Amino acid sequence: MDDSMDEVVQEFLAESTEGLDQFDRDIVALESDPASAEHLSSAFRIFHTIKGTCGFLGFDVLEELCHGAESLLARLRDGELTLTSARTTVLLDVGDTIRSMLSVIEQTGHDGARDISHLVERLEALQVPTATDLRESKPALAPVGAAAGTAMAGESPGGAGGSIGLDSPPPPAPAAPPKGDAPGAAAATTPEEDAAPDLADPTPHLTERSVRVDVDLLDSLMRQVGELVLARNEVVSFTEAITDSAMHQTVQRLSLIVSELQEGVMKTRMQPLTHLWSKLPRMVRDLCSQFSKEVIIDMEGGDTELDRSVLEAVRDPFTHLIRNAIDHGVESPTDRVAMGKPRAGTLSVRAYHEGGHVLMEVSDDGKGIDTARVGAKAVETGLVPAERIASMSTREITDLIFSPGFSTADKITNVSGRGVGMDVVRSNIESIGGSVDVISRLGEGTTFRIKIPLTLAIVPALLIGCQGQRFAVPQPNLVEMLHIGTQASPAAVERIDQATVIRLRGKLLPLIRLEEVFGLAPAGSSGDDRAVVAVLQSDDLKFGLAFDEVYETQEIVVKPLDALVKQVEPFAGATILGDGTVALIIDVVGLASTAGLRETSERLAASGLEGSESEEEEREKTAFVILKVGENRTVAIPVDQVARLESIPTATVEKSGEIDVVQYRGALMRLVRLHEVLGILGHQTVPDAPLKVIVHESDHGPIGFVVADLTDVLEDVVDLTDVDSGYGLAGAVVLHGRVTDVLDLETAILWMQREGFFADAR
Amino acid sequence: MRALVVDDSRSMRAIVSRILRQLGAEVVEASDGRVALDWLEAGNRADIALVDWHMPVMDGLQFVSAVKSHPEWRSMAIMMVTTESDHEHIVRALIAGANEYIMKPFTADAVSQKLELLGLFPRTG
Repeated sequence: MDDSMDEVVQEFLAESTEGLDQFDRDIVALESDPASAEHLSSAFRIFHTIKGTCGFLGFDVLEELCHGAESLLARLRDGELTLTSARTTVLLDVGDTIRSMLSVIEQTGHDGARDISHLVERLEALQVPTATDLRESKPALAPVGAAAGTAMAGESPGGAGGSIGLDSPPPPAPAAPPKGDAPGAAAATTPEEDAAPDLADPTPHLTERSVRVDVDLLDSLMRQVGELVLARNEVVSFTEAITDSAMHQTVQRLSLIVSELQEGVMKTRMQPLTHLWSKLPRMVRDLCSQFSKEVIIDMEGGDTELDRSVLEAVRDPFTHLIRNAIDHGVESPTDRVAMGKPRAGTLSVRAYHEGGHVLMEVSDDGKGIDTARVGAKAVETGLVPAERIASMSTREITDLIFSPGFSTADKITNVSGRGVGMDVVRSNIESIGGSVDVISRLGEGTTFRIKIPLTLAIVPALLIGCQGQRFAVPQPNLVEMLHIGTQASPAAVERIDQATVIRLRGKLLPLIRLEEVFGLAPAGSSGDDRAVVAVLQSDDLKFGLAFDEVYETQEIVVKPLDALVKQVEPFAGATILGDGTVALIIDVVGLASTAGLRETSERLAASGLEGSESEEEEREKTAFVILKVGENRTVAIPVDQVARLESIPTATVEKSGEIDVVQYRGALMRLVRLHEVLGILGHQTVPDAPLKVIVHESDHGPIGFVVADLTDVLEDVVDLTDVDSGYGLAGAVVLHGRVTDVLDLETAILWMQREGFFADAR
Repeated sequence: MRALVVDDSRSMRAIVSRILRQLGAEVVEASDGRVALDWLEAGNRADIALVDWHMPVMDGLQFVSAVKSHPEWRSMAIMMVTTESDHEHIVRALIAGANEYIMKPFTADAVSQKLELLGLFPRTG
């Protein structure tokens, strides 16, 4: 190193030391005003300058450390993050480390082999926005794409996730925050807990509040708790036969403690979604540059916690949805501008709790799913027969994107468009007991909603029996339960070709008998009657499963099957019941494919035998008031057109010109004799007998229709046969087996107006 | 050739100046954009300015805009001295009128090449 270079180093040391002193002053000022742009910029420049100079002088380690601090400060300065105490602490630590490195440089001329990886990891972990950040800087979304911030240039792909340990070998996980913590508080403390153990200990209170635990240890704890739950169940079922009350109390206490312990252990395995999301901005940025798109990502609910195994399971499907949204969803900047949308698309990722599930939404404001195109493509590729598409609802067509091998992409990119995506997304999510939905509006965007259970280890299930054996059906797959063969049953068993089906509210569902599929009894040996049917849903397929007995619903502990029998499709695992026996857990998707149901279901669809279920369900029953008009004519009026039924004494009827009126609720009400309107001969009224009047609230106020008699109120699903009579007969219906004319009073009034019935009204 | 080095960091100025001197240039240093503009306003001229991005008082972009909007100073070439993380800013600087950029850390050769691209031949200047 020549003299002038030596001078530069001396200058660097002096300047950097001064800079760090200034940095200390900035931090102090920031403690009282954490958002001060002036001080954040100043602090940023100090690290920026040191980093820039290090590059020339070959101080690589120092450069890396400054880079981390600079990135964090850049995001703080830009308002993407807020200065929390955890972030202040790590920045101060960086300052101290740099100081000691500078003195090493002064003595030795180089920055030494100091291990700064933990500090760099902490810096990176603290760049993951928390709920607080998102709240604080709602409009300041993390920009990616063309306007990407400097912060995501972090080299370590491990990032925050790595340091907390989803994937790296013995990665310790942070202890879950104590029960009852507000979600926001939990999120805010996570980085601190993460950071704490690495510190020399400037903030001892943080160290005391959390410990790092090896993930393997957590897994083994979970297994043991599972065993304990099973043992508890056994004890409970043994003691049912014992009448000793002291024993019962002890068992109850044991039971309670085990439940709490199980809950506690499950909580420690919870990790916030930020582990999954922390890599998003970088990923979105890369995808944007790959597809020349501009996308702003908006994340909300990253502090929502999931069991780590669930988190792992949703990683790939989630990534796929993001890729899809950027590749297929968001339009190119020029297209967007042409459509009057903001140049940059918005991709929002949201998570929240609902029931025992976590919902994750991935929405884009892109072009949406073109159902016409999806339909055409489905016909073209032979996925759905052309004639069926016409009768499918928009929702059903949209759902086709989850079909295996489906793709509307005209050109295949290396990210998406090969059609090996959405079906895998759905099956991955469903394999963990979750579900995926899509809502899309053409031109406005698409939202994918993933519903996932909090944990995989313990699931609610229905225990069923068949030929003396017990099985567990996971609750999420269960749609409804039916008894077949009884009079009141809404479902009837039918046979089409080789397949047994049940007709449930007009819709044909394939029916499988558990004993036949599993070979528990010779096929066809059991009668069609007196069986219990569970309607199950797997993927887009609904089917009935017939068996003998229903026991109870229970939280079952899922035991994975041994590798030797794992490929046996219809089973997802096994569980041990209270009496110590083993029950196999039915994998609904696997069961459907074992029984060859998909083909049956397609045959059904093709056969045209089934009415469209959605249509059937949308058609509600209509209630009608049945009237006698004139001598013997029966007319039905929809109940919602009838405001009241009144009995009006003839004496109160007044004449106003040609028109009959009556004092009704403080005003005059027109009376119309319905038989006159309908051109029916009037019946002989008994003098002085009260008039039977239907009060209809029309736009002109109440109108009373005088009828001969009221006979009934009937309710039925009706098909109107259209008979346009002109004067208000809207058609005919078959009500309880009788053809009845339906009168639409509004139309009748319009007709009366045209015909001059109201000529001198009011 | 006379070069104006605008950087708030003493050590960076020292490094850049050292390289420019090696290339045979006469170097004037300014600790921020305001100081540099004052110097220009006093009637001084340089062939090129090497400008840092992040500076207090007046940052690199403001400096470029000020120079390029002044009829007499416009002919002075401007080279932005940036880091990789400032990549996006370069475009803005170029739009504002900067002529070149160079990414830290750089070698004397790299500076020499960029100067040649700008038509400045330091050794003969």
